[in-house]
Amino acid sequence: MSEFTPTIGIEVHVEVKSKSKLFSNSANSYGMATNTSVNVIDLGYPGTLPTINKEIIRQGIRTAHILNCDITRRMHFDRKNYFYPDNPKNYQITQNRTPIGRNGYVEIEVDGTKKKIEIEELHIEEDTCKSAHRGSVSLLDFNRAGVPLIEIVTKPCIKNGKEAMAYLTKLKELLFYANISDCKMEEGSMRCEPNISISKDDSFGTKVEVKNVSSIHSVGLAIDYEIKRQEEMLNNGETIKEETRRFDDKQGKTILMRVKETGNDYRYFIEPDIPYLELTDDFINESLNALPLLPDELRKKYTNLGLSSLQIEKLINNRSLNTYFLGLLDYKTNYVTAVNLLLSDIASYLNKHNRLILETKLSYEKLVKVIESLESKELSNKNVKDLIDSLMETDKSIEELKKEFNIENITDDSFIKEVVTKVIENNTDSVNDYKNGHDRALKYLMGQVMKETKGAVNPKKANDILIEALNK
Amino acid sequence: MSKYLDLSIKEIHELLVEKKITPLNLVEEALERIEAAKDLNAFITVNDKVREEASTLGEVDPDNLFFGIPIAIKDNIVTKDLKTTCASHILDNFIPIYDATVVEKIKNAKMLIIGKANMDEFAMGSTSETSYFGAPLNPHDKKRVSGGSSGGSASAVAGGLVPLALGTDTGGSIRQPASYTGLVGMKPTYGRISRYGLVAFASSLDQIGPMTRTVYENAALLNILVGEDEKDLTSVKKEKEDFTRFIGDDIAGMKIALPKYFVSEIVDKEISDRIKEIISLLREKGALVDIIDMKYLDTAVNLYQIIAMAEASSNLARFDGVRYGFRADNIDSVDSMYAKTRGEGFGDEVKRRIMIGSYILSGENAKTYYDKALKVRDDITKEFARIFKDYDLIIGPTTTRVAPMLGMTKDDPHKAFMDDVLVIPVNMAGLPGLNVPVGINSEGLPIGLHIIGKSFAEATIYRLASFIEEVER
Repeated sequence: MSEFTPTIGIEVHVEVKSKSKLFSNSANSYGMATNTSVNVIDLGYPGTLPTINKEIIRQGIRTAHILNCDITRRMHFDRKNYFYPDNPKNYQITQNRTPIGRNGYVEIEVDGTKKKIEIEELHIEEDTCKSAHRGSVSLLDFNRAGVPLIEIVTKPCIKNGKEAMAYLTKLKELLFYANISDCKMEEGSMRCEPNISISKDDSFGTKVEVKNVSSIHSVGLAIDYEIKRQEEMLNNGETIKEETRRFDDKQGKTILMRVKETGNDYRYFIEPDIPYLELTDDFINESLNALPLLPDELRKKYTNLGLSSLQIEKLINNRSLNTYFLGLLDYKTNYVTAVNLLLSDIASYLNKHNRLILETKLSYEKLVKVIESLESKELSNKNVKDLIDSLMETDKSIEELKKEFNIENITDDSFIKEVVTKVIENNTDSVNDYKNGHDRALKYLMGQVMKETKGAVNPKKANDILIEALNK
Repeated sequence: MSKYLDLSIKEIHELLVEKKITPLNLVEEALERIEAAKDLNAFITVNDKVREEASTLGEVDPDNLFFGIPIAIKDNIVTKDLKTTCASHILDNFIPIYDATVVEKIKNAKMLIIGKANMDEFAMGSTSETSYFGAPLNPHDKKRVSGGSSGGSASAVAGGLVPLALGTDTGGSIRQPASYTGLVGMKPTYGRISRYGLVAFASSLDQIGPMTRTVYENAALLNILVGEDEKDLTSVKKEKEDFTRFIGDDIAGMKIALPKYFVSEIVDKEISDRIKEIISLLREKGALVDIIDMKYLDTAVNLYQIIAMAEASSNLARFDGVRYGFRADNIDSVDSMYAKTRGEGFGDEVKRRIMIGSYILSGENAKTYYDKALKVRDDITKEFARIFKDYDLIIGPTTTRVAPMLGMTKDDPHKAFMDDVLVIPVNMAGLPGLNVPVGINSEGLPIGLHIIGKSFAEATIYRLASFIEEVER
């Protein structure tokens, strides 16, 4: 055990999903051609003023709620003043004194132990331009300028990389499920910046910030690397400097970006172009009404429905299937069977065709019918597999499909008997084997029946009829 | 030379309706006058497309008083495709790609923008001498300033070049030049007119307003300019009203307060005496005028310096050479681009205010200065509200002296603020205030009366102003 105690805090920025930007009506959408979602406000043109996109305030309220924060009822925006070419007005509109959420937490579980990661505050702010450097030239993409961000700041209460990863995974799941953000670290819609210090006693050590971390896993690696690096430095009698480092995935270590020489002076003051906002109960409730069920609520609900924990996690991991499944709960059916279908044949169809379930023709009524047919053995699992394309792509009823796929007479005893008789006649060796007690022969004969009928018969019924015929 | 522009707007309008003249005649006359009065230096840019705009204005609308009337726009209000410099080197080639909301309104009302009026650089100054293009002169005495920061607008209207102008008022910049040049100048209630497209100096104080020859024309122009604007969150939604509706009403029963501070020793005696004559006159006509004590008025200039400079230091940060405007040559790094562009692009007064503003917001200073100033500002607002419980209007002189000689305040930046000591409290409280001329002093220079109203009570101000104007005539 090390004699040092690490103290870790994490700042997370997520790009908020919304139709338009925070302070202008330019589209907020990732991946548009460079500098095509830009107007005079985003460019910081002389004379322009910010407007407020209320949907983003609602997203802030939702985020505060799901992170168990107190919601600030009367709030304003502040200007953070600093010069940088990617900062069009050379001030960023943010919330310094009245963050929309305060004093929250996220509950995590590490190695079977639960812990609350405390949230200091979360606030709404605008993103800067994206800059690209080409030799001596710097290029700016203003599509990102003014894109809404929510910044979530923890208290320095995280102890190691594992806890950090658990926190970030949980945070990502929550924000993704609540439809706040895509949380795609690779696209920059979620950015995590841990700060790490170590100390032998209760006082805090010197803080080192790590930026440009590419994945949650890397955050864990960066933190553990940084703890080790700082321990070694202190053990060698060196002094840790307040600095910003980046994490290099390939080398698996943090690399110095810049040393903080003096405290930043952002000359914050209240943004005079945006009046104070008063969040009313109605506005807050309206915002929260639009919140979908969150993962932990889903887990509880699904456990009560009898789903296995494996099914539950798989379902939660696929948000569109999960949304579809939630809709199915309005219908009375066997939900376990439904989830099995959703996660097997249906999921593989969707993957293969790269489609979302809501884009298919699988209505709830149709799915309920399929489940009924499976239960009554009118359809076999194999039948469903064969019918899947048609179920997803056509409006044809199950009856119609059965006819079309020649599985109509599946429960027709006389038809099955006919086939069975034929199989027995053509496989006298196997019949004898069966009669001599070789169980495997039954399987072979059953296989022949299925082959003969192209798998269209009710297997249980066929099995019964076959045994009956053999035992005659 | 024709003399149509000396007529009232109503008379010009009748001639237009009777087809005795065309908008082009008016534009030609204005352009001739501007050319002839070049020494006034009232304009930074003359709109070279205005003849074409006049010719294609269409059929005269008999219900639109402002159809075809030339107007000057202060050069800190953006005009699409027409250079907008803020009287600064840093924007001396800046051609906006959009119209300010007020400019849209002016264009919708079929007025003709004759040009962009000279001003103090970024509206920072009291004499318009900080203009990169040199100071505009006072038509009453060309050795004197026309005030600031809307000095070019004042010179243009007072010099008869155009009948109407837009100014902006952050700390007296409409009313003080109106006083120095004998015009009617209104700073409306904060939020009355959209600031969208006004290049911000101090966002929480800036307001656009009309500068005209008469009270009626001022009120009528205000009718065009007002209205909530979804592009400016600080603009306020109000019932539509006609600001000319009380013009011509008598003033019997009006309750008017005159704070002692406004006639204290800081005011030139000739001006004080003139104000006292006005008071006698008002009382004679049945108004109640009380001389009252009012707190905090003397703190306003200091508050103004703190709040306006702090906001300005942030508002002017965007002029960095990256996206528009001037960029210095011979730069070898981002930092040198900022330093050289801003060092060469801004004039001394602007740089001084940016530095002071940055200092005021720096670290703990923000609490010591800026936050405290906001608190005292609330106190001023409350003090005005207290007075307005008992009175309809507050009056006083607009300025402590008549228009000073050119160069008088050049070497003492602080002294320049004293020109605005009587008008700044109104900006602090966001109230409407107006200058109406009340004659001339012994040197023949205009004296102005300042009328302050309750929030959104511009029509009441015009009532008293029109009465005084009528008596003066």
